[in-house]
Amino acid sequence: MAAAAVETVALEHLPATHTVLLALYRNVANASFLQEQLLSRNADFEYAFVDASTVVSRFQLLSAVYKAVSAEMAGAMRTPNVHSEMVVSLSSNNNISEAYRRYGVQPATKDVVVVKVLISREGSPSSLTPEDVEKHLETHVQGDSVACSDEELAKVTDWPKLRKYHKLNGLPWIEAIKDEEAKKKELEMLIVSAMAMRGT
Amino acid sequence: MATPEPVAAIQPPPPPADATHEFPLPPILQRSASTAELITQGAEGRLYRTTWLAPDRFCALKHRPSKPYRHPTLDARLTRHRILSEARILQKCRREGVAVPALYGIDESQGVLSMEWVPGRPVRVEVNEYLQRRSGKYPGRARDSVARDEEGAAPLVGLMRRVGEAVGKLHKAGIVHGDLTTSNMMVRPWERNKKTGPINGSHQEDDDDTEHSLEGEIVVIDFGLASQGSADEDRAVDLYVLERAFGSTHPRAESLFPVVLEAYKDTFKAASVVLKKLEDVRMRGRKRSMLG
Amino acid sequence: MAPLYALGCEGSANKLGIGVVSHDPATNKTRILSNVRHTFNSPPGTGFLPKDTAAHHRAHFVSVAREALKTAGLTSPKDLSCICYTRGPGMGAPLTSTAIGARTLALLWGLDMVGVNHCVGHIEMGRVITGADNPVVLYVSGGNTQVIAYAEQRYRIFGETLDIAVGNCIDRFARTLNIPNDPFPGYNVEQLAKKAFFEEDGVTKREPVLLDLPYAVKGMDCSFSGILGAADLLAAQMRKQDALLASGGTLKEGEERITPQDLCFTLQETVYAMLVEITERAMAHVGSKQVLVVGGVGCNERLQAMMGLMARDRGGSVYATDERFCIDNGIMIGLAGLLAWETGFRTPFEDSTCTQRFRTDDVHISWRSD
Repeated sequence: MAAAAVETVALEHLPATHTVLLALYRNVANASFLQEQLLSRNADFEYAFVDASTVVSRFQLLSAVYKAVSAEMAGAMRTPNVHSEMVVSLSSNNNISEAYRRYGVQPATKDVVVVKVLISREGSPSSLTPEDVEKHLETHVQGDSVACSDEELAKVTDWPKLRKYHKLNGLPWIEAIKDEEAKKKELEMLIVSAMAMRGT
Repeated sequence: MATPEPVAAIQPPPPPADATHEFPLPPILQRSASTAELITQGAEGRLYRTTWLAPDRFCALKHRPSKPYRHPTLDARLTRHRILSEARILQKCRREGVAVPALYGIDESQGVLSMEWVPGRPVRVEVNEYLQRRSGKYPGRARDSVARDEEGAAPLVGLMRRVGEAVGKLHKAGIVHGDLTTSNMMVRPWERNKKTGPINGSHQEDDDDTEHSLEGEIVVIDFGLASQGSADEDRAVDLYVLERAFGSTHPRAESLFPVVLEAYKDTFKAASVVLKKLEDVRMRGRKRSMLG
Repeated sequence: MAPLYALGCEGSANKLGIGVVSHDPATNKTRILSNVRHTFNSPPGTGFLPKDTAAHHRAHFVSVAREALKTAGLTSPKDLSCICYTRGPGMGAPLTSTAIGARTLALLWGLDMVGVNHCVGHIEMGRVITGADNPVVLYVSGGNTQVIAYAEQRYRIFGETLDIAVGNCIDRFARTLNIPNDPFPGYNVEQLAKKAFFEEDGVTKREPVLLDLPYAVKGMDCSFSGILGAADLLAAQMRKQDALLASGGTLKEGEERITPQDLCFTLQETVYAMLVEITERAMAHVGSKQVLVVGGVGCNERLQAMMGLMARDRGGSVYATDERFCIDNGIMIGLAGLLAWETGFRTPFEDSTCTQRFRTDDVHISWRSD
């Protein structure tokens, strides 16, 4: 197994107390193990395990991350923690269990995006370092680590599913766009906007 | 004649102690080193140009600060209602394919709306610069209205057509803008290179040295006074406000306003009723002159 | 050049006001020599009817005019340059009665007549009294609600009510609650609203409750009839609660006990927030930092305070007058009329009529050139 590549992402308008870590694994063999850790609330597995086929781009993914962290800072989360909040933030409706099912890791999930936020509070730094996280993921995620880039994400995006989830079928002007890239950009923006509207 | 004792007049109030009152930034702009530049400051709120998620993605952040004169309950209710209404309208426009900024984030409790930053310049600026160039090129025409068939008018006629189409699409989508001026429409330059070119604002800073022209897509912005609705009266007022904006801001281009209305008619099926209403609104407008 | 003198007669609503004002064209100094007013108040729960109001004005015109002249201390009515009267807008019958009085004086003394727009009178009076030279004007009274700014010799209306005036909304709600009309309904509504705080020894025992009323602003326009309707419904609900409690019943769980104090508080907070908002929008539009509040509703302290907070945030100030000047009076008519007279304006005797509708922006403001 390749060494886990965990990327530290600096998000605009996030305070220095918050560190966002990002990783993408292809061909994950132990998705059901990962889901079980979440279901049993194993404290060592405080991650957002996202089904990568529901991710369009880094921008869309990070929009969900930012929304979740904002909710955490404002004390306005609708789910138990910032990581579950991220999974739910990928949805554009208010059904939380459906959001876990659709966007979170499931036993059949092949490709997984992992997001972890390290939060230091009141002068005490997070007990974990990015290196700890990288080591932990390397040990427990059985899959091929690849860069969490737009190119890699695009390879696994399940567009028909996403268009159904976000009710993006039957928009004639979208179908009329000839350029596939331009069409995907429009769809991406519609998804991001719909995610922003969720919960309001 | 006797000099009577005058009735005492009232002293004017003293000038405010803090004449250079600093407006508070919304929390999102206070907590990190990400930069924000104040773009406009209206009665509704302030518009900042800042970044979103990544340092190379620009965003228009609208802040409706709480108004100290309002009862806190009423203030919170109104702020929330207005932020959400504007967000819903943007979202509806996007879904219907009307070119408006994409919605990035909402924080209705803080009165903050984050949107895609639209590159380019307002129609107002582009049209005025076109008229200036025209005066330079043809000094004899400097004071004349632009004629549809005059030499060099094609780009302006094209722009007016696109303005009319944009308004037609907006009304077709069931949205009334409420403040349709040439300042609230941007000319977003066409993508020069499809492969590497910017899409949806996720790109580099607008370069002031590039040749600005009338070429570009019309993007309608600022839906702060917009509403969802299909009343012909409200639609006609939208057109009337736009017509007045051309008349007051670019009087020499007003002669081409019929082009806007033609394109509006070609884009929007129910236009003829609206255009009839526009006649009434114009008549009333002359009496009311409420736009100053 | 010596100062000029004018007598102004106002009677567009339930106040008959007559006063003498002087203006010196050389120094632009204005002096108020007398300001006499007599108000027709109808019993609580009723409004003033045109017929009764006109009768009131006719009955009191001579005594009010006499007192105004006497207080002014002019040696002879011939020292006056003109007789100014309210041409409109307002209620037909009271306007006409007052105009007849003014015409009689003009004929008696052989003086010019000047017909004055009531709103312009408020604006000119407010400018002189407060020293605000070019403000955005909020004109709020029982008959008018307008946001006005000056441009090119007109007072242009930027925003206004789309239905009833704000003062009318408050007056009619005062009737719903059977609040006395003396000294005027809005004053009594304001006093009740203050009591919503239940202060004892300077300590607030109970925060007032902001009830749910619609908020109706559209651009720079606003609307009050829906708010009045909703407030009347809440008042009806309150009376049901009264009846229920009187018969030994209890309120439903979680049902808020509505009080007249909270109702008045809510009505004020809502409609004044709307007025401040449209004023602020007009200020941003024309780039002005001054705001002048005129008209009868303009002496409400809460409105003035709210306007002040808004203006402060814009780096400006609010200019307001007290009830001597913001409530309808004769001197404002005298002043605006005199300014017009100085520029050569006259109302020929045969044209000295009245009109119930007379828009502020119909008047050519010949005495301003800024």
